[in-house]
Amino acid sequence: MTGFGIPSGLRRAARRAVRPEVVLRRRWAYRVASAALPLLERNGARPYKVAATRCVLSDFADAYLGRKPCIFASAFVPTELVYGMGGVPFLPEAAAGLAAAFGLAAESLSACEALWYSPDLCSFHRAGLGGAAAGLLPRPSAVIVSSHLCDGGKRSLFHMSRLAGCPFYMLDVPYSSSDRAARWLASQIEQVARDLPRRVPGLSAEGLPHALERSNEALTEYERTSALRRNVPAPWRGSEALNYVLLFLWSWGSPWLAPFYRALRVHLERTVAAGDFPVLGERHRLLWLNLRPYYDTGVFKYLEGDWASSVAFEEYSFAYWPRLNPREPFASLAEKMMSNFGWGPIERRLEVIARLVGDYSIDGVVQFGQWGCRQSNGGAAIIARELKGMGIPFLNLDGDGVDARCGSEAQAVTRLGAFIELLEARRGG
Amino acid sequence: MFVAGVDVGSTTTKAVLLSEGKIAGWHAMPTGVDLADAAAECLDSVCQRAGTGPDMLAAIVATGYGRDRVAAAARTVTEITCHARGARALVSSALVVVDVGGQDSKVIRLDDDGMVADFVMNDKCAAGTGRFLEVMAARLKVPLDEFGARWRKAREAARISSTCTVFAESEVISLLSRGVAPEPIIRGLCDAVADRLAGMVHRVGLGGDLVMTGGVSRNDGVKRSLEERLSAGVTVPNGSQFAGAYGAALIAFELVS
Repeated sequence: MTGFGIPSGLRRAARRAVRPEVVLRRRWAYRVASAALPLLERNGARPYKVAATRCVLSDFADAYLGRKPCIFASAFVPTELVYGMGGVPFLPEAAAGLAAAFGLAAESLSACEALWYSPDLCSFHRAGLGGAAAGLLPRPSAVIVSSHLCDGGKRSLFHMSRLAGCPFYMLDVPYSSSDRAARWLASQIEQVARDLPRRVPGLSAEGLPHALERSNEALTEYERTSALRRNVPAPWRGSEALNYVLLFLWSWGSPWLAPFYRALRVHLERTVAAGDFPVLGERHRLLWLNLRPYYDTGVFKYLEGDWASSVAFEEYSFAYWPRLNPREPFASLAEKMMSNFGWGPIERRLEVIARLVGDYSIDGVVQFGQWGCRQSNGGAAIIARELKGMGIPFLNLDGDGVDARCGSEAQAVTRLGAFIELLEARRGG
Repeated sequence: MFVAGVDVGSTTTKAVLLSEGKIAGWHAMPTGVDLADAAAECLDSVCQRAGTGPDMLAAIVATGYGRDRVAAAARTVTEITCHARGARALVSSALVVVDVGGQDSKVIRLDDDGMVADFVMNDKCAAGTGRFLEVMAARLKVPLDEFGARWRKAREAARISSTCTVFAESEVISLLSRGVAPEPIIRGLCDAVADRLAGMVHRVGLGGDLVMTGGVSRNDGVKRSLEERLSAGVTVPNGSQFAGAYGAALIAFELVS
């Protein structure tokens, strides 16, 4: 017997039971969590949060309990492909953000360092890779990556396929847009869709058209929420919207996504109608580029509270692709991938930023300078110059989305605070 | 009517007292471990010298990394805005302000009205800050106050290739063990800091009168190294160390007038 009279064996068992890598693989955990959702809703939890949780729980249960073949994917692989084939996608980069939010990233980062990876690699990839090595992630049946946008993603996911001993596919996205390039990418997607069922039992390409239909349905709802977010003042906290970017990357083609965006749309409509806006006395509207720190940080408390400033929209919440054609799934998914504004010449990204600045009545733009993120940070100087020409102030806020050791909250607060003071001075405050 | 600005920095706390908008006194002291105490003591001292007390102040504005610990402050303002205001008040033609403090460095571009138009700060490490120089001064056993004179004595600069404080310290040890005199090492260190600052100046745009503020502005070696790199003059006004507190005091004066 040890402290509190609890037998040490029982204590060890309890400690083991609450370890995330154990809990995530227990059927009862999902049953308990699913049963709690209606109770939460009855007790005032917002329906869109419940819908999002349902979406995540469903995918995690499918992945961790092995109910469906789990396909690891990099952030910009169209997940319609995986859902449509009867699998469940798992995005280690997005999972890294979730792990950081739940205070679980440190263990994964340490595990990654033990694999010889340098802290210079983006922490979203490091935490994903470390999580796979530490047994925190489900076991993948296959891995699909795309060559856009970041290099670290395809290499770290390749390593994960080696750890799991499963097939690895890379979709090589042409840098320049042309019909020929689109056909080349579509043929690669088709090849993956043909090859995967041969190598992974339980997969079939038959469901692809339906997944594209579901994706379109979600997109329709999503576009309505995006339109509502143009409202001044902002009807949704940007700090929260940045959390849901993870779902935005993960869930296209899922049956749960359209209900989530529908619930969110209803919430935003009610907020606008009631005039019950989350940032009191909104004074400044920001556009946020790249991701945010997902671990516990006070930065947004200052931003949305003390400084009455909203992140009105985020670059990564921009739905850049046209409606998908279920009759031409491969060509359509290729078009979606190639229309990513972060790929190709920087002018495409600049064009989207300029459009969002106008659409969302933006006063200033903040780029979160994620440590090790070449694809985003590489454009900072050009973005700053472009915005200067438009008369829009720009702040490059260095930090890290997952690894809290790579940034100082005090320094981030000073930088953001000074930026808000600059905006305040411009409006004569 | 008295107002005050207090700048609670990582190394030094500074206070400036204004009487009817004019400087009536200033005081600096080490920040130590209790930021609230340091601010209170610094304000006490500057008031005492002017024959008044903190209770008599019409407004206090706090800035610096410990600004949120100043309970008596009517308002907190970031160092960027305060240094901009203070520097412009000290040098009316200032258009670019280089402020190097204990734990960070910043370059601020002002518009014609003296408002902050743009700014950049050092990234995640201590390179280019006062702390970097403090660590090296301790290793060299040369007081920071002597860096300027030693810089002038150096015929050439030793190459310090690393900007990481820890690695640069190793380089200094290595240079000393090879018999290199302190003077070229000091010049090399000042060059390393100036390299970082020059890059930041170019990011906001070189042009117009450049003013240096903050604790490191008193280090003539860094000033000279920066002038060499920018091929431009750098003005260090009297009281440059107090620019942040002065800017805060000016904002306090605006609040009450």
